[in-house]
Amino acid sequence: MSALAFFFIVISLASFVVAQLILKRAMEFSRSNGLRNARFVSRAAIGVALMTVSFFLTLGLLQRFDLSYLYPFQGLSVIFITLLAAVALKENLSVRLALGALLITAGIILVSIS
Amino acid sequence: MQNRPTGFGNPWLQLGLSVVCVLVSELLLKRGATDVAEPDSAFSWTGINGLESPLVWWAILLIIASFISWLYVLRYVPLTVAYPLSRVVDILVPLGCWIFLGELISTMRWCGIVLVVIGLALVAKPVARIEERL
Repeated sequence: MSALAFFFIVISLASFVVAQLILKRAMEFSRSNGLRNARFVSRAAIGVALMTVSFFLTLGLLQRFDLSYLYPFQGLSVIFITLLAAVALKENLSVRLALGALLITAGIILVSIS
Repeated sequence: MQNRPTGFGNPWLQLGLSVVCVLVSELLLKRGATDVAEPDSAFSWTGINGLESPLVWWAILLIIASFISWLYVLRYVPLTVAYPLSRVVDILVPLGCWIFLGELISTMRWCGIVLVVIGLALVAKPVARIEERL
């Protein structure tokens, strides 16, 4: 894997993770404030824009690598999103949930390197 | 979360729908991207040339559908629970690659799939408790 491919994989992963956190915030905000307000729309729009960046970078990568090879990098998103949801969104993270997320990530990585 | 909707609005059903849409879209994307692949062109790193494939457009429709149900799920379920559960797709995609795209699954890959299943079970069990609390 070239440095360029690694770079695009990292950017694609990072924009995906940040998008999920922003969208979760937006949807929670919408529960008390409804869908028609500027703060919700702008958050959702940033989330969607980041997901779009991640999507097209993935499409570029798929032209060069097997899906079963690329997919595991998305697996890392489980760890990042679970940890960041606990830290940034102050969600409860039990030992059990953390362990589950770790096993899922380990499993996905194993699938990728096999 | 006292007013959690039931029936089609049930967030767990929507999570399932979202997962199925993602699974099918990933398989379509791989097929579509392979059909129009131009590995020698630098522009194709952007992935935009993938839009030449009709399969990619079908995949995009499914991604939008999965995205809408996912947003709905986010409204009701904590991210620490919903996101790991949504990764059941990481087992379904290799299985789909095996069944529909003719890719091989080695012993080690099966082991990885088993690890994911155990992890999912760990995450899924507290869901019952969350349901009671909410």
